[in-house]
Amino acid sequence: MSHLHIPDGILPPVLWLAGLVLTALVLAWSVPASARGGPRLIAYQSALGGIMLAVMALPVPITAFDYCMTLAGPVGVLLGAAPVFQVSLVVTLILALLGQGGFTVIGLNTLVLGGGAMLARPVYLWSVRALGPARAVALATVVSQLASTAGWILVLLLSVRLTPDIAGEHAIAGDLVRGVHAAGAAVVLAMLLAAVAIEALLGYGLARFLARVRPDLLPLPHASRAAASGGPPLSEPRPSGR
Amino acid sequence: MTNTFAQIDHLACAGDSPWHRASALTKLLLLVTYVALAVVTPSWAVLAALLATLVAMCVSARAPLKLMLAAAATPFFFAFIFALAHVRTDWDEPLVLFARPMVASLCAVWLVITTPYPDLFAPISRILPRGVGDGLFLTYRAVATLYARVERMGSTLRLRGAMARPVGQRFALLGEAVGTVVVSGFDRSHRLYQTMQLRGHSGRICGCRHYLELTRDDFWVCLAMAWAGVVSVALWHLRIS
Repeated sequence: MSHLHIPDGILPPVLWLAGLVLTALVLAWSVPASARGGPRLIAYQSALGGIMLAVMALPVPITAFDYCMTLAGPVGVLLGAAPVFQVSLVVTLILALLGQGGFTVIGLNTLVLGGGAMLARPVYLWSVRALGPARAVALATVVSQLASTAGWILVLLLSVRLTPDIAGEHAIAGDLVRGVHAAGAAVVLAMLLAAVAIEALLGYGLARFLARVRPDLLPLPHASRAAASGGPPLSEPRPSGR
Repeated sequence: MTNTFAQIDHLACAGDSPWHRASALTKLLLLVTYVALAVVTPSWAVLAALLATLVAMCVSARAPLKLMLAAAATPFFFAFIFALAHVRTDWDEPLVLFARPMVASLCAVWLVITTPYPDLFAPISRILPRGVGDGLFLTYRAVATLYARVERMGSTLRLRGAMARPVGQRFALLGEAVGTVVVSGFDRSHRLYQTMQLRGHSGRICGCRHYLELTRDDFWVCLAMAWAGVVSVALWHLRIS
């Protein structure tokens, strides 16, 4: 559940306003952090953002349901924290213009999608020596998806907490939460685990392919980068050795 | 979203209604007005009037019915969850919770089918950091090309039986297939970068100001905004209680 698609007019204003402010702050941080990449990084970001959008439109059948991929984790590994947050904002904005998610909640949607994706590369770099690229990307994707889902649940809980005119103050909120627990928690948990597993398998397959065909696209851990002479920064793909 | 991007692009560029001839900036202002009113108003009557106005605007812009229905229905699920929490003895809040997102979605659809994306993104990119603004244009362009490739990838996987494999293998194979698209995307981005260098990219794409060129047809957009203001004031007090 790495993208919210919450529409306009549902969440209390204090929540989506805070989301917009926080997104602006993170965006302000990301600009100098990714400035070193220049136009080449912009072009790479746009290609991966386009892939995210295209892949979101491709439903994959699972028994009676269709699942839509996001690739937030793998894209986070490939781009790094600052560039992937910018890509998340662009993707969320384009989705809002297509009616998938609201305009007032662009900030929250970006934080949920981008926040999880930003964790992917640090997790990958931490685990790639021990696990290899494919498993490390899968692990990074799992962490990314779980972080995004936690953000999603936090937004939902805060919105219930902050909506003042739910009858009986928080009595209805408590009833709602108990109702969800009683009726749907098992289903929701199973769906969540399935979604995380699917995205992890996607990331695994993607990294397995890249490790064979274009290993230069996968980031290097710091120690390996220091040992390799003249290696480019992690925020950019390394030049192909072919 | 199958082929939605191509359909929207075609409608935005080939349409000849007064909405298509109006400037992008006034249409964006209309979007801001309608979304703000939808989010702020507690009155179902105001929302109903805004919805009816937007339906009329979409029909006059020759929006496909399927696109309009998809826009109206997309926010349904999440609105339903919140509507459940707001059910009491009256129908005010559930109605309002369903209608608000529909107004915003329909307005978004109206905007994108009447405005070519360069004109739409130019004013938006001016409030974003330069790299992000450029990324907005380039990402939208990339989607059209890459979506065709992703569709072919999906067809290839189905034809070669990858989707009939056990679930665990299916998604790993799908990941490898997406890897081919990533490699293609990277190569594409390399060519795009070289093109940007050759064409003298100076840090901002589309410095044109077509979005500011006001026309006579902006009158209709302004009229629609004024109408929204009038119905909001007149009907604000109307609720079911």
